[in-house]
Amino acid sequence: MLSLLLIFVAAIYFPGVIVKVKAIFAGRKGPGILQPWYDIFRLLKKGSVYSSSSSFVFQIAAPIYFTTVLVAALFIPFEESIALFSFTGDFVLFAYLLGLGRFVIILSALDVSSGFEGMGANREAFYSMLMEPAFFILMGSLAMFTGYTSFHDIFANLHYNSYFSAIIGIIASYVLANITLVETSRLPVDDPLTHLELTMVHEVMVLDHSGFDLGIIKIANNIKFVLFSTLSANCVIPQALDLWIRIVMLLVIQAAFAAGIGWLESFRARNKMAMNAQYILSINAVALILIFVAMIIKNKI
Amino acid sequence: MILLFKIALLFTFGMFFIPKNQKYLLALALQIMLIVPSTVWALDVLNNKTIIIDLGITTWSGSIQLTIDSLSAYFMLIINLICLCGLIYASGYLKPYLPKKRSVFISLHLFSFIWLHGAMLLVVSMRDGIAFLLAWELMSLFSFVLVIFEAQKESTLKTGINYLLQMHLSFALIMLGFLIAENQTGDLSFAGVGEFFSRNPNTPLFLVFLAGFGIKAGFIPFHTWLPRAHPAAPSHVSGVMSGIMIKMGIYGIFRITSMIQSDLMTIGIIVLAIGIVSGLLGVVMAILQHDLKKLLAYHSIENIGIIGMGIGMGILGKASGDHYLMVFGFAGALLHNLNHALFKSLLFFTAGNVYYATHHVNMDKLGGLAKGMRYTSYAFLIGALAISGIPPFNGFISEYLIYSGVINQLSNSVFIISILSIACILSLVLIGGLCVYCFTKAFGISFLGTRRQESFSEPKEVPKIMLLPAVIQVSFILAIGLMPAFFGEGAINIVQDLLHMPSSDFAASAVQSLTVVGHVNMLLIVLIVLIMLLRAWQQSQVKIAAGPTWGCGYTAGDFRHQYTPTSYADSLRELANPVIDYKKVYTPFPEKEIFPQHKEFHTESKDLVEEKTVLSWVHLIVNHLPKAGIAQSGLINDYLLYPMLFLILIGFLIALNIL
Repeated sequence: MLSLLLIFVAAIYFPGVIVKVKAIFAGRKGPGILQPWYDIFRLLKKGSVYSSSSSFVFQIAAPIYFTTVLVAALFIPFEESIALFSFTGDFVLFAYLLGLGRFVIILSALDVSSGFEGMGANREAFYSMLMEPAFFILMGSLAMFTGYTSFHDIFANLHYNSYFSAIIGIIASYVLANITLVETSRLPVDDPLTHLELTMVHEVMVLDHSGFDLGIIKIANNIKFVLFSTLSANCVIPQALDLWIRIVMLLVIQAAFAAGIGWLESFRARNKMAMNAQYILSINAVALILIFVAMIIKNKI
Repeated sequence: MILLFKIALLFTFGMFFIPKNQKYLLALALQIMLIVPSTVWALDVLNNKTIIIDLGITTWSGSIQLTIDSLSAYFMLIINLICLCGLIYASGYLKPYLPKKRSVFISLHLFSFIWLHGAMLLVVSMRDGIAFLLAWELMSLFSFVLVIFEAQKESTLKTGINYLLQMHLSFALIMLGFLIAENQTGDLSFAGVGEFFSRNPNTPLFLVFLAGFGIKAGFIPFHTWLPRAHPAAPSHVSGVMSGIMIKMGIYGIFRITSMIQSDLMTIGIIVLAIGIVSGLLGVVMAILQHDLKKLLAYHSIENIGIIGMGIGMGILGKASGDHYLMVFGFAGALLHNLNHALFKSLLFFTAGNVYYATHHVNMDKLGGLAKGMRYTSYAFLIGALAISGIPPFNGFISEYLIYSGVINQLSNSVFIISILSIACILSLVLIGGLCVYCFTKAFGISFLGTRRQESFSEPKEVPKIMLLPAVIQVSFILAIGLMPAFFGEGAINIVQDLLHMPSSDFAASAVQSLTVVGHVNMLLIVLIVLIMLLRAWQQSQVKIAAGPTWGCGYTAGDFRHQYTPTSYADSLRELANPVIDYKKVYTPFPEKEIFPQHKEFHTESKDLVEEKTVLSWVHLIVNHLPKAGIAQSGLINDYLLYPMLFLILIGFLIALNIL
């Protein structure tokens, strides 16, 4: 349960840090760290407008999306504290749960019969299709390296051999960080702040959601962010340290990651749409390198 | 029991002698007479052990027996379930045809349906070669009759004949396989095949059987009949054919696979490769289809591919002595048979509902059905999620079994197995992602948004009887999703029984993790309901309004602005180019046209695999055959000359001592 607590703590400051860092780089003072959450709470209290062309699918999409992320959070371990669910191949279920959320959000975008949202839906389906293999190759290579098959066991045994673990851990962490950016539709794949619906991915899909639905979608996005960054942090935090040092490290890494995203979004432009597929495939390629590294370490080649 | 079975098959002939409106009832009664004994046998076998029933018919090769082991019993239960659903569905689907069709055609259709059911039950329980081939042939023939139900359409008839020819190729190959084995062992049966395998290199004979059964199952490149026959057949038939009849090919492959003893590595790699190719190409081709039923037909190829991957990994596990991989690969493939039978027949039936209500299955003309056809769209959505392997539904469970078998041995396996395992994982993931792409398209374009065509009447929900099979199928889909441990353990036990393995702790380890999966799925559903209740409470406090879709400032939105199937599939088009010849057909705008004329645009896709592997030969032959027409001069003198020349040739050959 410790990991769940840490995820929620990190989710509280994560979006705020990104906004703050971006504001500072833009020369503004910026809102407080908790401002994104105030916005969400305001949304949760508001009424909703439903598109007259939408059907029941639009109504169920947001709750299902929110729930899948919430349940997926129960799979994330933090070092030796066992996640609520841990079993052989639990990362398969983790990825497919997020798949369920994606499926319904894509459908909700198609449900409002808007050309813009259809565009976003199409892109989300395409990018996630390209992205998912990277996550599985990554987890596969970690499984190959450690000889274990669940999140908890993999991360608990990633550090038995310092040199090799460092190599594997750093590459894995890098790949996971990139996966995070794609999964949560941030730069360089998607710019959530661009005010041109033609070029957005995730934000354009939720254009017609409002009030409570939009609120829980935003919460889910924040949690999803932290889920992946916790996985990423798990790859690099050394096992040998005391528990409280590791907790502090985790929280600091999360904050640094958020700051990094803020920095990235301040100085980098979004990819051209046509380049995104290449970018995502290159992440896959790095993940493939990882699996060959793991094979070499295991003396298979 | 056996008497009941025989009487049922005998009484099917009565179908031709009773009034039109009572035929259906007779068919249902006869089907129940088939289902009751076979279900009793199957449950008996699953609880105890193999039973042998004498059919009381003697041929020159001895008396024909039904040998039911746990694999047969498992397939029997699926056959009964899907065929029952199919016949219930047919009662509604056939209704509009009743006044239009002549009585004898209706009789023939129902007669063939019952016989297809009976023949499939016989296929899975016959061990003798002759009897098996006979049952196999009956299955092919009656399914042919079912496919050409709308034989007044020329295209349907053509498709039917194509199907019939391919099925006979399959028949010939399987017969060839049996004969090769018989030639050496003197035993024309599965036992003879097993004996042949123990004496000779396994690969050649296995390949013969793989091709024979593969045509039925629809592995690429033997898939070409599937995307034609399924859309041409009426929906209850395509549901049954895609749901269970193509699985007879898988049954055969399982049966043969359980007997192979050497060359395991080669065979495993071949099966895995065919599985991966079928899985990936099947789903890629599916995405580019506009015809809902054709799309589903290509998905059958994809799912057969997943089953093939499971079997391939199982064989590789056997080859490398990794029993965990072997059991989990086979069990995943076996469970996927049941899963695919459930959700694919569900999807075909709901596609049939769409056709029933709108008279279209072309997605370009659909859209917005979720409002008028609420229950159909619930069913289709659940089927779509299940086929994409998404929890909490059943498709995930079988894929999870394959995944966990493969992942488990990643760190200990040798290099070649590791590489193949990674290829398997990668393909499964990619197939999953492509499936999500494809079914968001299929469901989103046909059921959501607004109608893509100016229509004067809102489509209405189909009669309740046509939704009843969906209720049965959905409850099974949910049952497998929520209680995966029971079904997973069952599949593992059947595999262990089939391979004559002593019972091990694999079942226990699968039960352990599948129980957690079941709990996660239950938690997921409970939480979704809770969040929805929370929202309902919140929304009771505030104002809820309906308004137009946000058009980014543009207020004259129109149904034509929606995404179309073509545009949704557009991102994938370039990736799919090597296998699909995808063309845009349109008249371009002339340079100086001031007032635009009526223009048309549509896209066509052609299956390049079929083109390259099958049709190129056919074209070659067809192009050169007319040259032989020179001999056909129409002069009687010439025709008398030919036998003369032939005799002279024979004379020469004898003189030269060649003959």
